[in-house]
Amino acid sequence: MKMKFLGLLTLCLLFALGSAGCAKKEVQSQPEPQPAYQEQVDQDQAAQEEQQQAEQQLQEAELARQREFEASLIELGTMVHFDFDKSELKPSARDILQRKADILKQYPDVTMVIEGYCDDRGTQEYNLALGERRARASYEFLVLLGVAPERLSIVSYGEENPIDPAQNETAWALNRRDQFRISY
Amino acid sequence: MLRFKWFFALLLAVVLQAVQAPTARALTIDIYGPGQRQVNVCLLAPVAVSAKPGAAPHLPDGAERLENLMRQDLSFLPFIKLMASSDILGSTSGATAKEIDFHALTLAQADLAVSTSWIDEGRDMGSLELRLFETFSGRRILGKAYANVQQEQLPLIADRFCSLVMQALTGKSAFFTSRLAYVKEVGHSKEIYTVGPQGRGQLRVTRLGGKNLSPAWSFDGRKLAFTVLTPLGHRLGIWDRATGRIDRKNLNCNTVISPAFLPDGHIAVALDLAGRTSIYLLSDTYEPSTALTSSRAIDVSPSFSSDGAKMAFASGRYGSPLIFLLDMKTKEVRRVTFKGKYNTSPSMSPDGRFIAYSSMLPEGHRIFVHDLATGRDTQVSFGPGNDEEPAFGPDGYFIAFSSSRSGVYQLYLTTRHGDAARRIPVEGPAFSPAWGDVDQLLVRGQ
Repeated sequence: MKMKFLGLLTLCLLFALGSAGCAKKEVQSQPEPQPAYQEQVDQDQAAQEEQQQAEQQLQEAELARQREFEASLIELGTMVHFDFDKSELKPSARDILQRKADILKQYPDVTMVIEGYCDDRGTQEYNLALGERRARASYEFLVLLGVAPERLSIVSYGEENPIDPAQNETAWALNRRDQFRISY
Repeated sequence: MLRFKWFFALLLAVVLQAVQAPTARALTIDIYGPGQRQVNVCLLAPVAVSAKPGAAPHLPDGAERLENLMRQDLSFLPFIKLMASSDILGSTSGATAKEIDFHALTLAQADLAVSTSWIDEGRDMGSLELRLFETFSGRRILGKAYANVQQEQLPLIADRFCSLVMQALTGKSAFFTSRLAYVKEVGHSKEIYTVGPQGRGQLRVTRLGGKNLSPAWSFDGRKLAFTVLTPLGHRLGIWDRATGRIDRKNLNCNTVISPAFLPDGHIAVALDLAGRTSIYLLSDTYEPSTALTSSRAIDVSPSFSSDGAKMAFASGRYGSPLIFLLDMKTKEVRRVTFKGKYNTSPSMSPDGRFIAYSSMLPEGHRIFVHDLATGRDTQVSFGPGNDEEPAFGPDGYFIAFSSSRSGVYQLYLTTRHGDAARRIPVEGPAFSPAWGDVDQLLVRGQ
């Protein structure tokens, strides 16, 4: 009987001990200590991810800049138009050129050839001179707005290379223009 | 060998010329008069003559071709009306005054008759004799002989003889021996060509690509100057006829427009040296030396009289382009045109009396001729479409111009009296005729 009691006590103790051990384990929320090399790998991964993220951000920024640059180039190519036998800049043309000047200041490596064109109602030799005056009008306005003259040049095509060869007012109005050829 | 034969033919022609009838002219035409008369000309049927007595002569293969070529040539002269053989009752052949039935010709109201006789020498085409007769008196006005004729010489023979016919009638002969330079559209580019005013002997001058514009002959016919339009800007092109070489000069200007030769061989050209396009004289080394015009507006298209005393040009100094005249000695500039709002492309007659120009009317551009002596402007072209870029011939009588009357720009001929325009048969779109006093024989002989 005495032996039975001892055995039960031991079992209880063992149970008590076992329960106590379990409770302690629950309280401890700390993870078990990891081996040293595993810790290093985790650190590298994190850094890599961070770098990738940074690179991605950079690439995105670069792409955005590229897109912005391309949009600017397209905007630089916007033509300006003139009245018949005239080389004076209209208010709408001044707005377009103002925007061009801003873009050119933003991108100092961009250079521009200003090409002057006429409709074919006049005669060729006079139109070659008129085309030059039209290109010069844009050139002088851009220089006035602070664009370095050495970044700009002028070529007059007169009535050559019409956008629309038709013989009507819409076509003539399209053909009386300054066109802008961009290099960078 | 061919050259020797040709020399021989010329020598024979000179000899025949020396023995021809006295050159007192009964029938002359004043091509500069206000109302020129038209003369009826009959081309007699060609006659074959045998060089060997007793042998049956044959007409060579090219006989009909020569007749057609002469017919073509003479049809360009507005003062000549070519008669058909059906207009004449009776015989329309014969070579010499004895053989020709002048009575039949005068009855049919023929004023002049051209006889052609081929001398059958048994080989090749043989020799040829061409004669021009006045039908009323039966007098021979002209006689020419050509030995050892070759097929390829026929256009030249026709041109030379018709040139002499014109000389005999009007005192001027430059038309058939002159040459036009013009701009032809070749794909997307425009290149310079030259051609006889009847559309014969077309030669390509430039193969530069891009746009080559506004050709102008030197007065001696040795050079052509033109504008070369490149993506980098305008250049001055100079073609040397003797070497065939083309120089492209960079004058460091945005505009190099409408080059024109002075009689002394220098070039005047419109440059934008001072921020506006004005006319400058170039030195021997093609450097801008003297400003010939100065205004705040556009000055372009110089054209000189053959003595170099006057220069016509177009200027926008009064708001829109008009024609002005510069006295080269006094440097005095005076306005020439007072009618029209857009007058451009002046071309001065060699004698300095007339200026042909293009005037924009509501219905399109038309060619006008201004008489500096009377101040009168006469319209000489009547469309439809646009008639532009007139060029006076070296005789001061013919005017070449470009016109879109057929839908595409082509070259046409009229006279300063406004005779019916005649198309110069060149293929494809053609622009900017420039007339040079060039001996075609020299050009074709190259």
